[in-house]
Amino acid sequence: MDITFLADTLVELLKGAPLTLELAATSVGLGFVLALALGLTLQSAPAALRWSIRGYVTMFRGTPLLVQIFLIYYGLGQFRPTLETLGLWGFFRQPYWCAILALTLNTAAYGAEIIRGGLQSVPYGQIEAARACGMPPWTAYRLVVLPIALRQALPSYGNEIILMIKGTSLTSIVTLLEITGVAQQIISQTYRAVEVFACAGAIYLSMNYLVAQSLAALEHWLSPHLRTPNIEDAVAIEGGLH
Amino acid sequence: MRDAPSNAAEDSAACLARAAVSVVDLHKSFGALEVLKGVSLTACEGEVVSILGSSGSGKSTMLRCINLLETPDHGTIRVGRETLSFEKDRKGRAAWADRRQVERLRRDAAMVFQSFNLWSHMTVLENVVAAPIHVLKRPRAQCVAEAEALLAKVGIADRRNYYPAHLSGGQQQRAAIARALAMQPRVLLFDEPTSSLDPELVGEVLRVMRSLADEGRTMLVVTHEMAFARDVSSQVLFLHRGRIDEEGPPDEVFSRPRSERLRQFLAAAG
Repeated sequence: MDITFLADTLVELLKGAPLTLELAATSVGLGFVLALALGLTLQSAPAALRWSIRGYVTMFRGTPLLVQIFLIYYGLGQFRPTLETLGLWGFFRQPYWCAILALTLNTAAYGAEIIRGGLQSVPYGQIEAARACGMPPWTAYRLVVLPIALRQALPSYGNEIILMIKGTSLTSIVTLLEITGVAQQIISQTYRAVEVFACAGAIYLSMNYLVAQSLAALEHWLSPHLRTPNIEDAVAIEGGLH
Repeated sequence: MRDAPSNAAEDSAACLARAAVSVVDLHKSFGALEVLKGVSLTACEGEVVSILGSSGSGKSTMLRCINLLETPDHGTIRVGRETLSFEKDRKGRAAWADRRQVERLRRDAAMVFQSFNLWSHMTVLENVVAAPIHVLKRPRAQCVAEAEALLAKVGIADRRNYYPAHLSGGQQQRAAIARALAMQPRVLLFDEPTSSLDPELVGEVLRVMRSLADEGRTMLVVTHEMAFARDVSSQVLFLHRGRIDEEGPPDEVFSRPRSERLRQFLAAAG
């Protein structure tokens, strides 16, 4: 085994890591805002709006992310004159922004479904209790509905975040030099695909491990009410019954 | 003998003037099912009104209409100074009440639910202070101090940092009563507060309710606890199929029921 080559490759690949993280963080952040807006809209909007959201979710969940990146970058490139008239060419000309757009729209479609599920899981009685003490709708959402719904959605949303981190590797197809893009570059120079991809895989694995650990910690911190209290507390409660 | 009716009339007029809650000619349908067919009630400051009736008689719906968790089709509801009237429009659609007015009325009519409905992600103390801080916009420190006093009053001060899931049913319901009291409401509405409790936990909740009645709180109580209704109420209403079948002071209603239906109901209730 060529330790020097592996070490050099790792160092080279890590130069792509900031872009990978940037793509993932931006699209997950923007995607979450969009998903939350869509999830809330699905609760109460007029039918026409709900159906458009349904259509969007179906499209983006039903087609591969790779195809979406392709269509947005190369597909929209064919409409250059129109985009120039609209002043959008500056945006769609750049693979970086096309990748951000594709990743965001993709994750928001999944996120909207996850958040809708979370919102539906909020026990109706707790919403009623909020209304019954005169909370205006937004206050009830802020204090009761969203805290419960987002806690419920967190495990699934964590999955989605990890999928997105891996999904950024597809943006190498539109020339972005994130980890996978750099890996392909090294391979084209060295023809040592196995070692290079093994290194790239190891980097993704460690990133996702850290993300998964942080999400688990966040979940633990947010859900003391779902855990069994410690033994003394349990005894105290039992004692309180009588 | 002549004076008696006029005194009674004066009494009831005086009561109406300082009524904490009054409901006039309330109608409510769910689809084709007419649940309330014109019910009225008045509770004066400090009165406890028990609402009895078999399942499906409309008693819970009536209580939920007073807090406007259900929107009545027709009728007038007054809680404290806030009056809301409902009338269907010409197409038969229920009128929408002004949201802010509804919210003001609800602050004065605190609800205690059969299934407690405590907010599961908040501790007991957070449950009690949430609405005073965020709805009444009162200073947090003051709300916390008052909440602690209320939790002591209902006997769960030592559970203030527990989450609802870690409490027994009786403790949860007492926390829910503290949450209702924290709004400093004009009237407390109890919707079968002991019906989802294990028999051995019913007593602790009823004791708290009795002490509230002794303090002179105005309460409307939908209940199956006949002993409570008999001992604590100032008035008892018996609902049957969406109408008030019989009403009066508890002695009269329990000892000399006039209608056959109430006799059957009381016999069945034991």
